[in-house]
Amino acid sequence: MFKLFFMIFLRAILLFFILITPLKADTIYNLIKIPNLEIYKINTENRLRYLYATKPFILGLNVQKNINCFNSDKKALDKKYQIVKRNLDRYSLNFLKKINLKYIVLCENLSIAEINTAGIPNNKTRTLILDIKFNESHFERAIHHELFHIINDNYKELFNKSIWENFNKKNFEYSDCSTCSNKWNLDLLDDGSGFFTEYSKSTVSEDMAEVFSHLIFYQDKINIEDSIIGKKILFIKKKILQIDNTFNFLKND
Amino acid sequence: MISKIKISKSEKIILYFLIILGVFTLASLLMLKNKCLFVKNYDPNGIKFNNPENIAILNTNCGNIIIELYPNISPIAVKRFKTLIKSGSYDDVAFHRVIEGKLIQAGDLEFGKKENLDYGKVGSGKSGLGRIKSELNGKFKYDKGSVGLARTFELNTEDSQFFIILQDEALFEGEYTPVGKVLYGLEVLETIKFVPKFHIVPRPDFINTFKMLN
Repeated sequence: MFKLFFMIFLRAILLFFILITPLKADTIYNLIKIPNLEIYKINTENRLRYLYATKPFILGLNVQKNINCFNSDKKALDKKYQIVKRNLDRYSLNFLKKINLKYIVLCENLSIAEINTAGIPNNKTRTLILDIKFNESHFERAIHHELFHIINDNYKELFNKSIWENFNKKNFEYSDCSTCSNKWNLDLLDDGSGFFTEYSKSTVSEDMAEVFSHLIFYQDKINIEDSIIGKKILFIKKKILQIDNTFNFLKND
Repeated sequence: MISKIKISKSEKIILYFLIILGVFTLASLLMLKNKCLFVKNYDPNGIKFNNPENIAILNTNCGNIIIELYPNISPIAVKRFKTLIKSGSYDDVAFHRVIEGKLIQAGDLEFGKKENLDYGKVGSGKSGLGRIKSELNGKFKYDKGSVGLARTFELNTEDSQFFIILQDEALFEGEYTPVGKVLYGLEVLETIKFVPKFHIVPRPDFINTFKMLN
């Protein structure tokens, strides 16, 4: 008898806590699970929805809440929005649907596990968080770099790591993760090593993202005398066209 | 010896005033308790519809909500919705999630039925017919009174649960599969029980019946 009452009591307490879970009526939060966001612009031609942080927010990958980003002042936001939009306008609605990208979150001083980063893609929520205060000289190219991670996450089978690794010189080995080494430099290398930047040497997916971003941002201005880079560019082009055969690598100015 | 006390004129006025005040207070209390009192109940039989085959009537305690379904925009979702309506599956199902002025959600056929409402699980139940694909490419504006199919965090997980929005929601466009729009009875929707700050409505209102017009 006591056991039965105890069970009923326990169930009542549990139900009480379930029922008073704070109600998050915020539509944006319900959609992408990031708090403190407002709409910046949603009626864009390629239907990307731009959101911005009104207050700092903390997010968690898995259990740890280790992603931080802060709100920006309006002036910086307006300026960087134009740059971000100009770059992302190069991707068609059809392509964005195929790669599962819909929301762009603009905030500043984005970090993951206290390491600053240009962006954090999440293909499940179809969201790309961008740090609008990221390194000025590489900011625009970094947008395409982060976008490539969304592509890669959606088409892992297409971007085969073993094939890619075979493009490199024998004995070369990537690090275990993008933050496991001190290869952070994003300046262009011109040493015939088969990599665009020092950061390319960190992991396969960062290397692919660097190739993609250089290809998209610098387009035909890239001097491909490095045969390894040449092979990598051909690989990326081929795979992107497999995703969308109408993809245009050149800017329509 | 006092034979009789006569009520003065002013005392009479006060007495009448108190009686009137009492009656008025009682009547007000009764009126306030009846949330349906000033809500218009629409009779679908007295209304001419352009597409009567796509008209669904959701009946609640305060009256009818008349919904037009859009099979041209979301053929798979509307087909599922009609199947469940025609089979009477939505009858006696709770409006389990109601956010004041924002949306009402119902349609959990597994844990939302009046006879076996499970507060711990309502919102996660299935219809038994399986999940259907999200239909997000049609042109549809999510303004007040729009009806859509609810889903989990992932696309292509729509089943039987649906929602009706009580305010314009531009962000819902391209996110949730639309099924139709409320033509009449938005004021009925506003009487559905909600509890501020509660995620799931305790002792919720229920759908009486949900039927197709034809």
